Amino acid sequence: MSLILDQVSYVYPGTTHGLTDVSLSIEPGELVAVIGQSGSGKSTLLKLVSGLSTGHTGSILLNNEDLATKPVHLRNIGVVFQSYALFPHLNVLENIAYGLKLRGVPADERRRRAHELLEVIDMTPFADRAVTQLSGGQQQRVALARALVINPAALLLDEPLAALDASIRGHLRDQIRQLQRRFNATTLLVTHDQEEALVMADRVAVLKEGRLLQLATPKILYEQPASRAVASFVGLSTILPAKVLATNRIDLGFATLAANTGSRSAGSAVFALIRPEHVQADPAEDTPNRLTGSLGTERYLGSFYRYDFNALGADTPILAESRTVAQNAIAIAPEHIRLLDH
Amino acid sequence: MIRGVALIYGIYLLLPIALLLVGSTGSSWTNSLLPDGITGQWYVDLWLDPSFRKAFVSSLIVAGGACVINTVLALPLACALHHHAGRSGSLAAKAVSSLPIAVPTITLGFGYIIVFNSDYLPWLGTLPLLIAAHAVNTLPYLTNALVTDLRHLRLDELERAAATLGASAWQQFWGIVLPNLRQSLISGLVMVAAISVGEFSLSNLLTSFQNRTYPVVLLQAFYGSTGFACAATVILLLLAGTAAFLSSVSLRKS
Repeated sequence: MSLILDQVSYVYPGTTHGLTDVSLSIEPGELVAVIGQSGSGKSTLLKLVSGLSTGHTGSILLNNEDLATKPVHLRNIGVVFQSYALFPHLNVLENIAYGLKLRGVPADERRRRAHELLEVIDMTPFADRAVTQLSGGQQQRVALARALVINPAALLLDEPLAALDASIRGHLRDQIRQLQRRFNATTLLVTHDQEEALVMADRVAVLKEGRLLQLATPKILYEQPASRAVASFVGLSTILPAKVLATNRIDLGFATLAANTGSRSAGSAVFALIRPEHVQADPAEDTPNRLTGSLGTERYLGSFYRYDFNALGADTPILAESRTVAQNAIAIAPEHIRLLDH
Repeated sequence: MIRGVALIYGIYLLLPIALLLVGSTGSSWTNSLLPDGITGQWYVDLWLDPSFRKAFVSSLIVAGGACVINTVLALPLACALHHHAGRSGSLAAKAVSSLPIAVPTITLGFGYIIVFNSDYLPWLGTLPLLIAAHAVNTLPYLTNALVTDLRHLRLDELERAAATLGASAWQQFWGIVLPNLRQSLISGLVMVAAISVGEFSLSNLLTSFQNRTYPVVLLQAFYGSTGFACAATVILLLLAGTAAFLSSVSLRKS
């Protein structure tokens, strides 16, 4: 089942902001993550797809059927909420079977299928437990099972890991991804956690102020961001204003560097994006793009250091990551300086 | 200090009840600190008095009726208040919940007398009107209990989850909202019953001779013998006390 959003716009009642012309398509079985800061409209997008919010323009097509006039309970879209939203008056098994009960599945059959799901999420011994006795991670697994058991046409994950401890977040992240693949569920994941998006998603959509900035695979998003906004939201970076001096030569104000300028003409204003892992510590003197300066804040992160390097004459420090800390010089290979136009 | 105050307050509260109990079992009590002799006669007399038995039944009917009406009204009212808890919603919720404290029941009673003593609505003194008055008087308590629970359980989230799983509005109400509100509904209703059973001023204004409630008849008893009046009061106390106890027990469970 494919999920297609075509120029979806929405205005929050009583305001002038919302979503503007968001178009994206999710292929059958694909997991697309929507990331953005709070207020970017990502949760609204999810609510519109699930039907919990209504009143958009443009179209939302699920398996080529327009959802505009279809009420929530007829959409057959599974939703996993940040707050789990398990039913406290039902036990674990009954929670999972609830959707099947609504579909008129006979009691025996729905017990069997709910048990199947319990086994898949590795919680068989918990069948008769009250949901209030479960840990957050267990509750969210039950919620996932409850959403998957109805064979949903699409699966929506609304910040599913945000309420959980960091220690179990990573494990559950992998488990959700495995189950999503196993059920071949067409999935929309909404998160503010860019790492979660990069790790879990086939493609990631970056949303800002209700507009879609870029939709691409995690690798492309990180390595070839379309704009400063995307680059600064996805991963760590240093972004410096620059000017094209000549072909493959840019001026940072405090230094000139070699970089691929593409077809840009001399004099055009650009931004230079430098990822921290591409900063070389204390390079040999004849290394291209060598900048001298001094070490700023240094942070020890176990397998590597993350530090600020204050290049001579620069206003903003350059963020770097490496096994050793640069004492008086750094270098960035020309092919690792990416120019952004806006 | 606090213990001392609590002790004095306890005595102040419990002494009349103790005296009632003593008085209801004493054979005669005139111009003395405590009554003479021990007897169960007053309770037997009370049981044999048809007007008290009738009033007892009337009180139960009125309380039961108020509970039924309140259930039908308070559930949708509480849901509506919870769902539209915007500025106007919370204002309405506050108005509803403060109504019984802000408006004296006697005001409500006089209002009913004026409206229902007319040729168009000649229903003063009828049982349905009395039930309606009790329902209006107790509705805020039940609504309040329900709204608090709705908010506490975050039922709107559960309703949204149920909707995505395929539940229609009706199925959400029956399958999710109602079972989760069961505890507060029961404790709220017992509270309604307790208030209704003990309610005097409204009933006194609105009842006819035929359907006097227990507290109204009780007032008459104090013009007769003391022991009988004490026994009658103890019965009312037991009735209201049981209801209040049940209410607190079911509240603690939820």
